[in-house]
Amino acid sequence: MVPEEKIKVRIRFSKTGDLMYISHLDLARTMQRIILRAGLDIWYSEGFNPQPKMVFAVPLPTGVESNCEMLDIKLNSPMSSEEIKNRLNDNFPTEMRVLDVYTPEVKFKEIAYIDYTIKLNSPKITGETAGKIKALFDGECMITKKTKSGEKEVNISEYIKLLEADSKSGYAEIHTILASGNEMNLSPELLIEALRRNLDLMTSGRIDEYYSIMRNEMLTSTLEKFI
Amino acid sequence: MQKDISTILKSVSKPARYTGGEYGQIIKDKEKIKTRIAFCFPDTYEIGMSNLGMKILYGALNELDYVWCERCFAPWPDMEEKMRQNDIPLFTLESKDEIKEFDIMAISMQYELCYTTAINMIDLAGISVFAKDRKDIDPIILGGGPCAYNPEPVADFFDIFSIGEGEEALCELAELYTRMKENGTYTKDAFLREASHLDGFYVPSLYNVQYNSDGTIALFEPKYDDVPKRVVKRVVADLNTSYFPLKPVMPYIETVHDRIMLETFRGCIRGCRFCQAGMVFRPVREKSVEVLNFQAEQIYKNTGYNEISLTSLSISDYSCLHEATDLLLSWTNDKKINLSLPSLRADSFTRELMRKISGVRSSGLTFAPEAGTQRLRDAINKNLYEKDLFNAVRLAFEGGKSQVKLYFMNGLPTETYEDIEGISTLASAVVDEYYKTEGRPKRPVSVTVSVSCFVPKPHTPFQWEGQDTLESLRSKQMFLAEKITDKKIRYNWHEAKVSRLEAVFSKGNRRLSKAIYTAQRKGMRFDAWDEYFSYEKWLEVFDECGIDIDFYATRKMSYDEILPWDVIDIGVSKGFLISENKKAYESKTTPNCKEKCSGCGANALGKELTWCPKRK
Repeated sequence: MVPEEKIKVRIRFSKTGDLMYISHLDLARTMQRIILRAGLDIWYSEGFNPQPKMVFAVPLPTGVESNCEMLDIKLNSPMSSEEIKNRLNDNFPTEMRVLDVYTPEVKFKEIAYIDYTIKLNSPKITGETAGKIKALFDGECMITKKTKSGEKEVNISEYIKLLEADSKSGYAEIHTILASGNEMNLSPELLIEALRRNLDLMTSGRIDEYYSIMRNEMLTSTLEKFI
Repeated sequence: MQKDISTILKSVSKPARYTGGEYGQIIKDKEKIKTRIAFCFPDTYEIGMSNLGMKILYGALNELDYVWCERCFAPWPDMEEKMRQNDIPLFTLESKDEIKEFDIMAISMQYELCYTTAINMIDLAGISVFAKDRKDIDPIILGGGPCAYNPEPVADFFDIFSIGEGEEALCELAELYTRMKENGTYTKDAFLREASHLDGFYVPSLYNVQYNSDGTIALFEPKYDDVPKRVVKRVVADLNTSYFPLKPVMPYIETVHDRIMLETFRGCIRGCRFCQAGMVFRPVREKSVEVLNFQAEQIYKNTGYNEISLTSLSISDYSCLHEATDLLLSWTNDKKINLSLPSLRADSFTRELMRKISGVRSSGLTFAPEAGTQRLRDAINKNLYEKDLFNAVRLAFEGGKSQVKLYFMNGLPTETYEDIEGISTLASAVVDEYYKTEGRPKRPVSVTVSVSCFVPKPHTPFQWEGQDTLESLRSKQMFLAEKITDKKIRYNWHEAKVSRLEAVFSKGNRRLSKAIYTAQRKGMRFDAWDEYFSYEKWLEVFDECGIDIDFYATRKMSYDEILPWDVIDIGVSKGFLISENKKAYESKTTPNCKEKCSGCGANALGKELTWCPKRK
């Protein structure tokens, strides 16, 4: 049980550049060390193997960058938000920055959607590509999704709340809002997978064909910014 | 590196192995740097980042303001394939610049089975693998690490080797390189000749080697009078003042030793006759308790690790162990930092130590009796008695442990089947000890017996010995498997083929470089990894190269044979090694360095701060 008097703190941070290759588990271990280095008086779980208690919002898939990661911790003694921010930034690698520190009012389970920007570079892309991408997700688009209970075929269009696309020769940009709640969630990597299968994009394995995914914002069920 | 390789990184396993950017990595302004060193580790990131030697040398070299030392690890074959497909040469983690642009490519060789990977890294860098083919514009290729104590099998690939402890030596080499580049006297040949005059550097191309018709060495001598006949290894005199990294690079991905590795002392007082580390790291030099505690506090503040491991060859031989652990525990327990003491000897395991290491988190215990009978333990100079082992495990059981690991070796000189049966008897006795112990845990006991194969190592009293044949090692392993019937004992043994290859390279000479090169060309690498090791492929390679591996692995050498590694002087005299070898056959032990100095000769290297009693 968590004693009531512990101070709840929410940390919003970015994780960009090469740090996208750091998995969620590795991030959790790294974060634990960062918090110890920063000298935050974090609350430890009790028991045989005490661990600093940390709760992350929707884990970030490996290969995706983010400007809206969130971590909740509990402190044993009060410290100003500014102080926490400075101490963490001093100990973060350069591609991770604390954006905001505050007292959380809403629980992570209120997150229902996540807003992403996907940038595609490929010699195969033309001005027409954007239209093809939109058309692909307008109708039914079946794909194999790995879940806890095994693999299943799903129609990913049902998970897409919004999708805008734009393209020119060699480059396309997609702005999309994907379901990311407890009931329904979709990794943006599956969107890329659908492009691979249906539009022959990102299939060459050559370094002139590459993409990036940026997580911009977590949203509530009413598409408001989750804080 | 100019190219965006995200497509590649997204398609390989563990891409974070190749991206760097960790907290604590050292970035410098290229424009202000005179000499760039790529420190290469011929194994994966996870293995290399666990290596304390690399952390020390990386930090020590970067202390020099005119030097930038960067890291590079061997790409896993999936990454190598993509790099070769896309013409991406080997690059460092810090600047991502290709290694070919560097001044020095330093390769750390920790074990013999990394040789193909090491040569492959040179090839992946786009550099000629044979030293004779490299020009003045190519990086100098420097070798080091434990394998440099017999550098001969890889002598043709390297320009120069650092022998012994490198933290001072490598800085001197970088200084010489920078100076010669600046005053315009640098050519590869001039630099190597000059470097051969520095203490602790061996330049293989400056020596003539001739062979007898039977393959043994007829002559091994320097080509020029100014080149030393033997290269004396370097040792750091004072560990209290020598460089130690207080702000190590923090890996994101889990590495093998992902904790604070606090070096407590160097060298070992014991003198086990099979052990290379016990000989080559002589003399014993300790850190003071104050320095140890200060370094622990600093590294904790700089890393946030929650485990401190006191590292050394035999931690219980540290003369201030109780004082040091008391001081460390006075603050580590409060911060929930786990203190671990690997390499504990059973004869010095006490209730107090047991209590100390079971502080925050708990793990099983490991002891290494090495041999199953007292006679064989005496022959190898282990100096451990059954009663000590029983006492140690009883304390562990009383302290709540129910898991014990015991390490042994097969194929030791003078070993008989009686000795092998002794392993089984000893393990059963440990099981019995558990059920006799009052206050033991309620769980069933688990005793793991892990048996490796003896590999004769250069610079040890057993350096002249031949390894057991593959057949003999196999039948010994099977014999023991039949003897161990108790379900509470788990028996693991090492693949004898791996040990055989290790023996070939351990005792190898320059003629083996042909085989290593051929193997690399055939795509062989990561030989230490089960998924890539192929004894059969190696046999093909040796066959193709006309190399008889029995000559290296199983042949017993005579005391007067010129050994390939005689050019390296570790400070321990050949006379001492011969006398130790003879005593093994009489099952006579030698007292440890604390009890009595046996005059090995290494005290001459340690200056006034060595532990050696004669010096005190």
